Amino acid sequence: MPFAKKPQVFSAKINELTLGTGDKATVLGGQNVFNLYSFDAPIANRPKIGIDVSDDPEQPSEGLKEFYAGCETLAARAKKAAELPDVDFVCIRFDLADPNGANKSIEDCVADAKAVAEVVDKPIVVAGCKNAEKDADLFSKVSEALQGKNILVLSAKEENYKGVAAGAGMAYGQKVGAESAVDINLAKQLNVLITQMGVDGKNVAMNIGSAAAGYGFEYVVSTLERVKAAALSQNDNTLQMPIITPVGTETWGVKESTAPESENPGWGSAEERGIDMEVETAAACLAYGSDAVILKHPASIQTTARLVAALM
Amino acid sequence: MALKGLDIFKLTPKTNCKDCGNPTCMAFAMKVASGAIPIEKCPHMSEAALSTLSEATAPPMKSYKVGELALGGETVLSRHEKTLVSKTLYAVQVCDCMDEAKQDEVLKNIPAVDYERISERMYVEMVFVAHSSDKAPADFAALVTKAKALGRPMILSSTDVEAMKAGVEAAAGCDIIVNGANINNYADMSAVAVGAKALLGVQGESLEQLHEVVEKLEAAGNKNLILEVSRASIKEAYAEAVQIRRAALKDGDRTFGYPSIVNVAAISGGDAHLEAALLSLFTCKYGSIVVCSEMTYAKALPLYGLRQNIFTDPQKPMKVTPGIYPINGADENSPCCLTVDFALTYFLVSGEIERSKMPVNLLITDASGMSVLTAWAAGKFSSSSIKKFFDEFDINNKIKNRALIIPGKVAVMKGEIQDKLPEWSVIVGTTEAVQLVKYLRDEEWKKSYVDKTAAAPAGGEAAAEPAPAPKKVMPAPPIVVTGPYMIDDKPVAYKGHDPNAQTFVTIGERIHCISPAIRKAMDTYDEAPILKRAAEQIAAGATYLDVNIGPAESNGPELMTWAVQLLQQNFNNVPLALDTANMAAIEAGIKVYNRTNGKPIVNSADAGSRIGYIDLAAANDAIVIALCSADGIAKDNDERMHHCHNMLERGLSLGMESDDLWFDPLFLVIKGMQDKQMDVLNAIRAFSEEGLKSTGGLSNNSNGMPKHIRPIMDAAMVGMAMTMGLTSAIVNPCDQRLMETIKSCDIIKNHNLYADSYLEI
Repeated sequence: MPFAKKPQVFSAKINELTLGTGDKATVLGGQNVFNLYSFDAPIANRPKIGIDVSDDPEQPSEGLKEFYAGCETLAARAKKAAELPDVDFVCIRFDLADPNGANKSIEDCVADAKAVAEVVDKPIVVAGCKNAEKDADLFSKVSEALQGKNILVLSAKEENYKGVAAGAGMAYGQKVGAESAVDINLAKQLNVLITQMGVDGKNVAMNIGSAAAGYGFEYVVSTLERVKAAALSQNDNTLQMPIITPVGTETWGVKESTAPESENPGWGSAEERGIDMEVETAAACLAYGSDAVILKHPASIQTTARLVAALM
Repeated sequence: MALKGLDIFKLTPKTNCKDCGNPTCMAFAMKVASGAIPIEKCPHMSEAALSTLSEATAPPMKSYKVGELALGGETVLSRHEKTLVSKTLYAVQVCDCMDEAKQDEVLKNIPAVDYERISERMYVEMVFVAHSSDKAPADFAALVTKAKALGRPMILSSTDVEAMKAGVEAAAGCDIIVNGANINNYADMSAVAVGAKALLGVQGESLEQLHEVVEKLEAAGNKNLILEVSRASIKEAYAEAVQIRRAALKDGDRTFGYPSIVNVAAISGGDAHLEAALLSLFTCKYGSIVVCSEMTYAKALPLYGLRQNIFTDPQKPMKVTPGIYPINGADENSPCCLTVDFALTYFLVSGEIERSKMPVNLLITDASGMSVLTAWAAGKFSSSSIKKFFDEFDINNKIKNRALIIPGKVAVMKGEIQDKLPEWSVIVGTTEAVQLVKYLRDEEWKKSYVDKTAAAPAGGEAAAEPAPAPKKVMPAPPIVVTGPYMIDDKPVAYKGHDPNAQTFVTIGERIHCISPAIRKAMDTYDEAPILKRAAEQIAAGATYLDVNIGPAESNGPELMTWAVQLLQQNFNNVPLALDTANMAAIEAGIKVYNRTNGKPIVNSADAGSRIGYIDLAAANDAIVIALCSADGIAKDNDERMHHCHNMLERGLSLGMESDDLWFDPLFLVIKGMQDKQMDVLNAIRAFSEEGLKSTGGLSNNSNGMPKHIRPIMDAAMVGMAMTMGLTSAIVNPCDQRLMETIKSCDIIKNHNLYADSYLEI
């Protein structure tokens, strides 16, 4: 019997979520086939790549230090990052706002965000300091300051979704990220709760959790696969939000990326190890279902962009 | 594609001769379809029927061994559906088109990456030796000879039959794959592969052509194949890798039911980072062998970690090797934190210790990959297992610091550990890993540190002597029954139980040492909390009560004897399930057990390390709960039934009645294993069809759900399970909705006569 292609095209599709405004706006999601399966049907919008820029000037590698050399402020670094041709959006991260760390004030964060918006014309994603309470307040104030810019805040979690949904989502009409830790039931529950608050599900993106390759990544794999299967094959509209996965923040913290060459001479350059850890983790996330990944290193971004382009 | 029972029935002789041991041909066919018995059990099947069946029941993807390396055999597209069985293998390409120096350099670098990660050796498993059409067969043979020196299986790749012959000859004695059959040369190339007893790699200019070549090869009798995907572009290669696997596993196309080769060296355009990305992509989907131009540590460290994650069996916990893990530059003078070998626990605890920036020796003990509390309750994380670990790893001599911080959740073990490790200061740490950062950074543990080294004899060996440390074990107090136990001024009396009744047997689960109140009561022989929970369950209608005393290492027999007498004397000889990892305790409990209302239940045996509990039950004329699992949750119902039959046979051979083995399919958590629930229910049906009794921890299905949802789910689950034939369950009898559902189902099943007041009976 000759081979007969059986394209797996679903009647359901992933929501399209637009970030930013004008001709630099970018669209996540939209496909009615599994990620990267362009042989089944044309992909509505290719997966997108964001760059992670922290307000903490400290960089995890020599290459990144070099890249940001001379950029003293968050805005300067964000501008430099946004100039990379393969970057679809810029994710600014307020690590220094952590109350258990530098405890930078929300006013200062808002000022930083405004300065970034002045110099960056690509879409802006705002990540917090991981302190649920402070993030809710931070997202609300930044959303107010950047009203009309159509930003995405990362993210609303079980502990603070009410504040984030009400502030960023409803009061200022920004896009809301819903973050859960590699558990499909929690991911669905959080989307339900956020939409019950009154935020349109079409304005929500999911971060279903992340890990570096080798570090419990199987949970990320299975959650991504199961979410996409439920969204497409079961037409579950509480899980049809596009998935955005922060990769660089995970991969640049593991010893494979950071251990100096002197510790393990056979391992070779730490820079190369860090890039491959980020590239391979990103490729796996894209293969299993991420609609966007957020990376740190220019070389990783360029490679991932090449991979995506080659698959479309 | 699996055949349905009805399809198999059509092939049987339909004589109902019972020679297979089944009442009818239909019953036989159904069991064959479920995998319970092989088709050969019927002596009257025709040859033609047998060959049709074996074709239809063959696995969807062939599996092979190349040397020690496994290939193929997958049954699912995603790991969460069941498990992925053959991990992706990596090869490095060397070509006779390279100059000698380059060839030597490539070959020399292949062994460079070789390390161990979580008990697995990580290295380049194979060498891909390619022939270029502008080179002579002798050039290829020379290169094969050189590559052979690495002692790894080789993939010889050439579409030139003569060159391949030369290569195969040079490779004599080495495991190889003959890669290069195509539409033009397949007959000759196949002959070379068959001659060399090697797998044949097949190529095609399109999926259609590849399919055609495979069909021709199969028709010619060669079914030892591996399919190479396109080398034309990344897009083509990915499209083919996915579609081949999907056709085989999802669409039942046997022609594509073979492993694959993906050559990313050919499509990465010499970009090392892109090659890294492609190695990752094709490890995810769906390369059986992925060939690259070079393996460096930069590529390998994430790649092998990723592969290890993806190819773990989701049913089996990932374990870390037991041992000493120094963190933040810890040395022999740093304190020790102790925990279990469950990989998630390890990553969580080690991560938090790293964040504390304090030097700590993390001690990982063998707990069968369970989390702290589960391992403790199962007796896998106990003072004896810890002592054994200390001896095995010679901790007393390797570490000089004597502070041992144990997880806060098992504070109850402190005394027992202290007895076994007298020169250590055993300190109860935090209950959650996240609290460790502050706990360590502020050196809070120092407040509880007591120097014991002076008190204990010096040197590790002396301490290992079985010094009869004064045990602070309290003797069990005598049991005095003063009158009926009262709830709301009403006496609670156990109504009695007829062991031959068909009605559903509920085993009340509330007397369990994992509950802090019960744990404390058992520690001090405090009757009140135990009697209270027993009375509540009996009043709610429980048939049996489960008594879980935990591992009870030091006083198991005494504690179980006390608990059995306490409960039976107070509640009209209520029948009990004795639940502990301590076998001596179960025997002691049975010795004083009164059988008026039914045999004691031994909770529980499994088909793995706890198989001995069946012997224990047989020797003591008890019922045994038999968990249909061995090492982790069973993958599918074939495995469940396999365990079931093993345990059944063992029980019967020891003289047990089949009614005294209650099979537990292992109820699974819906949050996390939603797609496996029907498997569990179908296993219950299979037990029931074979006339076997069943039970299980039913409420596990709703673990982690909100309080108000659990009774709803549990009630639905028990209803469905009783439809399938479940005869008993370990439940919380105080859940009224659940108990009402059970009573109603018993009415519907005609096990109990209806009356308007049936709920009150």
